[in-house]
Amino acid sequence: MKNIAKTFALIIAVLCTPFVQAADTGKFGNLDYERARWHPIHFQPAINEATNEDCLTCHQDILQRKVKEQSPAGVKASESLAWYQTLGVYEGEQETFHARHLTTPIAKDLMNLQCNFCHQGNDPREEAPNNLDTNASGFTLRKMVDPEETCLRCHGRHNSEIMGIPGSWPDTKAMFGNSCTMACHVAIRTNRHQVSYLNADAIEKAAAEDPDTCYGCHGGRQWYRITYPYPRHTWPGDSGVVPAWAKDRPTESEERFRLK
Amino acid sequence: MTEAKKLDKEQVKQAVKRRKQVTYAPVQPEEQLGFVHNNVDCIGCRACEIACKDKNGLAAGPRFRRVQYIEGGTYPEVYAYKVNMSCNHCAEPACLPTCPTGAIWKRADNGVVDIDSTLCIGCRRCEAACPFGAPQFDPSDGLVKKCNMCIDELEAGRKPYCVMACMMRVLDIGPIDEIRSGEYDTKAIGPGEETTRRVKGLANPDLTNPSIAFIPHSKGKVD
Repeated sequence: MKNIAKTFALIIAVLCTPFVQAADTGKFGNLDYERARWHPIHFQPAINEATNEDCLTCHQDILQRKVKEQSPAGVKASESLAWYQTLGVYEGEQETFHARHLTTPIAKDLMNLQCNFCHQGNDPREEAPNNLDTNASGFTLRKMVDPEETCLRCHGRHNSEIMGIPGSWPDTKAMFGNSCTMACHVAIRTNRHQVSYLNADAIEKAAAEDPDTCYGCHGGRQWYRITYPYPRHTWPGDSGVVPAWAKDRPTESEERFRLK
Repeated sequence: MTEAKKLDKEQVKQAVKRRKQVTYAPVQPEEQLGFVHNNVDCIGCRACEIACKDKNGLAAGPRFRRVQYIEGGTYPEVYAYKVNMSCNHCAEPACLPTCPTGAIWKRADNGVVDIDSTLCIGCRRCEAACPFGAPQFDPSDGLVKKCNMCIDELEAGRKPYCVMACMMRVLDIGPIDEIRSGEYDTKAIGPGEETTRRVKGLANPDLTNPSIAFIPHSKGKVD
């Protein structure tokens, strides 16, 4: 019986071999691993035009992989919450990092993240960014993205000091009726989230229902100890006076994220 | 079974609501240990990497310690140096608050950011959050693992395997404050050399305040 199973496995392996060596990657043709690795889509400027579908043609495993139901020591995923997952707007079971940012309902509702929002390409020859490369290499000495230009936008510290509120948002939110949009931001910085990687209208709607939506991305999901220097767009009633903390901030979003 | 799952999560959320919502408060250790690496004198032999793999039983994929070769320039002005990092045992680690199971924690005595991978469910958030690439996904068992500065060696009064394997003595550990101030007696810092927090290509150290200092190459200095 064992021999039959072994023979069957061998036949399957032999039949599948051509697909392993050169997968049919749709519009990219039949590429083996090395050829695919050097495809222009992995480099600037072509990567800027890559769609999620293009990337997922080969990298679909990032969405197929699931978290374990339980850890080797028996900790159940269904009973676990990270620090920031106690926010009211966190929902659903534990998911992998990529699924949480691309396919969960809240991600699809509030964001429009594309693979190339984070992945700006890198040269497979270089283990580290070339010091003489004057182009924005978009990766650091660690991996293929620069967290300061990607993750920090929504995983930075809540900058309560510059807002003139007496303490951190969790400490003071009751004082402001537990609402960012009603308390101050009904008039201040009203030109918000007008970028291609966010769904501005959906964010406004969700924020009106639950202020944790605002806090979630502005401190509630803090990974890092600094804040992201968001562009300082003007708003109706803006005095035009630039405070010291905003002196070097841009007044427009980056070109690649502007709404056309 | 599905009902039971929902009930458990609801119980957790209700328990959380009763408490005030706070963000993660970083552990303030009695002493923060950190690494120092001399980018100039490192010959890139990777003995530290192999010693680390040997100690931790790692296959070819995961690299707790990574010697990175930086080469460039045009003749006659060419250059090459190495930047060598493992986990930087940050003062405010980004990996820690992302972990849903409490598998990562910071030690209060020496500031080592430790991990118990038997608690890991493989969500890989820590891997994404770390600006320095420390947490490593092991595809053989679907778990994330990382450097814990050979905590067992530290507790036995010895230095980590990577440091002990460094034949050039360009890699060392010590109290990071003393390393940065130049008070720490180590072969990794030569006479007249000064350490820096950042070298070219490194993610912004302000993100997490990593416990590492470098002796930078002239081409790796950040202006």
